[in-house]
This record gives sequence, structure tokens and C-alpha cells, in this order.
Amino acid sequence: MRVSGKFLMSLCLMAIAVGVMITGMKWPFRTALFPLMVSIFLFMGALADCLLDLFGSKEVVSKQGIVDFQLSDDIDPAIATRRTLVAFAWIIGFFFLILLLGFSVALPLMVFLFLKVQAKERWGISLLLTGSALVFFNGLFVWLLNIPFPAGWIFEGLKMLGLG
Amino acid sequence: MLLGSAIGFWVGILPGIGGSATLALMIPFIYKMTPQEAFPFLLGMHSVVSTTGDITSVLFGIPGEATTVATVVDGYPMAKKGEAGRALGAVLMSSLVGALIGAGFMAFSIPVVRPLVLALGSPEMFMVVLLGLTCIATLSGQGKRGVLLGLLSGGFGFLCSLVGQERQAGIIRFTFGQLYLWNELPLIPVVVGLFALPEIVDLFVRGTAIAGHVSYGNLSKGVKDGVRDTFRYFWLTIRCSLIGSFIGILPGLGGAVAQWVSYAHAVQSAKTLEERAGFGKGDVRGVLGPGAANNSKEGAGLIPTVAFGIPGNSGMAILLGAFFLLGLIPGPDMLTKHLTLTYSMVWTIALSNIVVVAVCLLFINRIANLTTIRGNLLIPFILFLCFIGAYTSNNHIGDLIVLVLFGGIGYFMVRFHWPRPPFILGFILGRLAENYLYVSISRYGASWLYRPKVIIIFLIAVAFVLYHFFQKKTLKMEESNEG
Repeated sequence: MRVSGKFLMSLCLMAIAVGVMITGMKWPFRTALFPLMVSIFLFMGALADCLLDLFGSKEVVSKQGIVDFQLSDDIDPAIATRRTLVAFAWIIGFFFLILLLGFSVALPLMVFLFLKVQAKERWGISLLLTGSALVFFNGLFVWLLNIPFPAGWIFEGLKMLGLG
Repeated sequence: MLLGSAIGFWVGILPGIGGSATLALMIPFIYKMTPQEAFPFLLGMHSVVSTTGDITSVLFGIPGEATTVATVVDGYPMAKKGEAGRALGAVLMSSLVGALIGAGFMAFSIPVVRPLVLALGSPEMFMVVLLGLTCIATLSGQGKRGVLLGLLSGGFGFLCSLVGQERQAGIIRFTFGQLYLWNELPLIPVVVGLFALPEIVDLFVRGTAIAGHVSYGNLSKGVKDGVRDTFRYFWLTIRCSLIGSFIGILPGLGGAVAQWVSYAHAVQSAKTLEERAGFGKGDVRGVLGPGAANNSKEGAGLIPTVAFGIPGNSGMAILLGAFFLLGLIPGPDMLTKHLTLTYSMVWTIALSNIVVVAVCLLFINRIANLTTIRGNLLIPFILFLCFIGAYTSNNHIGDLIVLVLFGGIGYFMVRFHWPRPPFILGFILGRLAENYLYVSISRYGASWLYRPKVIIIFLIAVAFVLYHFFQKKTLKMEESNEG
């Protein structure tokens, strides 16, 4: 019996399909028809996949392949896992920086921090690239396209307190 | 036209700023133009967006447009192998061929296309949607498990497309009390998250440049090979262009579908199992097909807009607005009184693509060498483009949450070998499929299932799945005979 990440994904899909089916029961027939059709198909398919994962022959599992991008497999798995977690930490960190400080501050801060802390670049390159990003952002998105960017929770909070 | 093409060039390259949105932004500028000036300006811009959108798809794995996602699947692995120049050469040349075929298709088919468009009602269109999804789902996985995962991935895409207010009865579905989700999950953050973030994480993990350890300057050598590849697989390019043109004239489907169906056709054209296994890992045919289809659908997409006033997609709907602003009424008049203007649109599509591809080919060596820059220097900029691209979708912080969420989903899909192409096609087509199903049931009850054309399209979809297994058996037998 093999319980892998793929198995858990199929299990999650089954759970989502069940959730959709239960929710769909409350809707009028025509609103529920398509979601129910799709979720029943998904439930059956995911169940079949789970069963194949649990009881299917190893050969069948190893033969399946996909026409899609594949992650690099020439890195030591422990290092790859650690780097993956760090990469996601940067992505999520960038998101929270934007949320708290707004694009105009978060963007240069993120670029600079990444270059200095993660990439360990020299001060000159870090500052030059940060400046370039700032000019590109302000020139194109703020000045030319006039896209409204939120100020960020901290600055909005300060403004509400009359400090901004 | 040149000004429009220059704008379209940059719009295509920048992720998130869509061709349709820019078309809308440019509409106010045409008030004082004559139709002979306005349409070259607008079409020059709109028709090159897909061409340059492929550039970031190949170089960084970030689709510049929603219509250039399929290019990522093989284009980015080519860039990782140090073949960015070849991939760019192939995608640009196939785009040009596609654009020319699309323009020619428009010029010659306006008189004959009307009966075709009118022959397909909602029941048939529902089946066409299912056929498209079946094609890509069965071809994006190898073996029975691969096909099953492809179908599940497409179904999951369908489910995700159902988030938001239902169009017929106005019932709110799966919004978890969030007003932001009432208006469906936005396409750009979903696409960028699903396709770009896993690639960024992988680049981070590898710790090298996108092109690995290929040295600066070696990439440019492949450009001519890429251009030659277009002519080496010329019939594939032609077929994919025709697929794009055909899908382009069907209202509602558009380039996002055309690219995947043509990609599926490119995969299907593989003669051996080994060849097929090479798709997704950097096969140039996986770049040629979507590149050609993306651009051929532009010319074809104009046919229903110009001839019948039925816009095939959002871009064409905005263009329809431009017709009325300039005092023109799409329909028979465009084929008689304003025939010269109609044919000038054909020329605009052809010429603007020739100009943009020529400009791109001039600078392609330098563009390709971007993939030799250290990953650590690129990652913050690519991330910045992803976040900005996602945010410009609705100018809402929810776009960023969707981006990060689907980045995670995309990563797990890649990690556990769930193909992403069927998901994105299901996501794009889900609402459309539901709408067609709703109209079919409302209009015909259950009898729509017995319509001959519905049965034929359904049988084609079933045959497609069966053919996939049948072809695999035949290929195995041929290989064992050769062995």
C-alpha cells in the first residue's frame, strides 16, 4: 500500500467534489446541474485514481507521464526541499510586504532584500537594480498607465490615526 | 499601424496587461481618426500582442497573455536546455506564418463562413467545448493513469470556473462570503500563478541561470534553427494555423482554446512513444503549434465581427464598439460598401506581424541571452512582474491572494504529475460550457442530446479517447516489430 502526495491530492479532490455535491443540492436544478455533473465525474475519477494508487501495480504507476513542465531532479532532495520552502517564504513574504506597505514601498524593498540577503550581491548592484525596478514601476505603471495602487495597511492605519 | 504595433509589442511582453484591456484604453484616441486610420491603429496593436506574448512565455515561463500559456509548456524547457534562441525563432516564425494564414483565411472565407457559424447552436457548441477539453486531457498524459489525471485536471478547472455569480439565475456559488469572488476567479492571476510561480520556485531551487550553465552567446546560434524548424514542420504549422482560424471564427472560444487544441494536435503528430514523451520537456513542435494558432485566430476572429456583428471574444467586442464609434455598422455593408476597409484590415494584420517579427528577429540574440543571467538576479524582477501582472487584472488585493494560492496549487500539480494544460482549458471553458448546457436544456429539454451534429461531435470526442489508446498500441507494436 502506497500513500503518496499524489494520493493525498486525489483525496483532496474527492473531498472538494463531495463538498460541491452537498452545496449543489440546495440550488435550483438548472443552477446545480453543471456543478453536480462535474463533481460526480471528479469524485468517481479521483476515487479510481486513489484505488489505483493503493492497489494498482507499480508498473502502471511508474509508466504514467505528463506533457508538462517538470521540476528539476538533479538536486539533492533535502536541499531541494529546503530551497523550495525558502522560495515560497520569499513569495509569501513579498505578498505580505505589499499588503502592509503597498506596492510603491514593498517593491523596491523586496528587490533590494532579495538581492542583498538571498543573492548576497554587492551593494552597488543591489542598489542599481533596485533603482531600475523603481524607475520601471513608477514610469510605466504609475505615470504612464495610471494604475491606482493601495497604500498598504500600515500607511492607511497611520492616516486613520492622523499620523500619515 | 506602426504606432499600434509598437504599443502591442510591449503590451504582449508585459504579463497581465491584456490586449483587450489595452484595446479599450486606446478607443478614446480614435475619436478624431478616420476609419482608414483607426483600424490599422487598433488592429496593428491587437494582432501583434500574441506574437510578443510568446517571448516571456519562452524566456521566463511567464505567459505574457492568457493566449500564450501553451507556449510555456515546451518553450520554457527549451530555454532551460539553452535553446531559447531556437524556441524564439520557431515561435516568431510560426506566429508570422499563422498570422498570414489567418489574414488569408479572413480574405477568402467571409462569403462561405456564415452557414457554418449559424449551423452550430448551443448544443453543438457545448459538445465542441467537451471535445476540446477531451483532446487536451487525453493528450497531456501518457498511459491510462496519465489520461485519467488529464481528465481530472480538466474537471477541476471546470469546478474552479464556477466560482462566482451564476449568470442565469444570479445565484452566488463558492464565494465564501467574499464580494471579490462574485465576479468569478480572474484569469490572469490564475494563469500566472499556476504557470509562472512553480517555474520561479524551480529556478530558485536550481540556483543557476534559466539556461543552466550554457554560456553567453551560444544561445543565438539556435535562432536560425528555430526559423528552419517552422519550415521543417511546415505542414504542422499550416494545420495548426487552420485549427486556430477555425476556432477563431466560432464565437466564444477564442485564442485561449485555439492554442491548446493546436498543442494537442502537435502532440498527436508524434510518431513514436519516445517522441511523444519529449513533449513538455522541450520539443520545438510544442512551440510551433500554439505560436501559429494564436496568430491565425486573429484574422479569422474578425470574420464574425465584421460580417455579422457577432464578436468572437472580448477583444472583438471592444473592436465592435470602435465600429459604431466611427459610424460603421458591421454586416453586409462591410462586404459591399466598405469592402476596401475590410480588406485593409487583412493587410494590417499581415503587415503588422511582418514588421514586428522582423524587429524581434533583429534583437532576438540579445533577448535570448537574458536566459543566461543568474537566476538570483532575475527572480525578484520576475516575481515583481508576476505580482504586478496579477494585480492589474482587477486592481484588487484579492488578485494577489489568487496568484499565491494558484501558485501553490500549480506547484503541487507539477510535483505530483498532474498536467496543468487541461486545468487551464477547463477553467477558461467552464462558464461557457455551463451556459451552452443551460441554453440547450432550456430550449430543447433532453432532446438536444439526439441532435445529429451533437451525436457526431460526441462520437468524435469518444473516438479521440479511444484513438489515443489504439494509437499507443499500434505504436508499441510497430516499435517492437522494429526492435
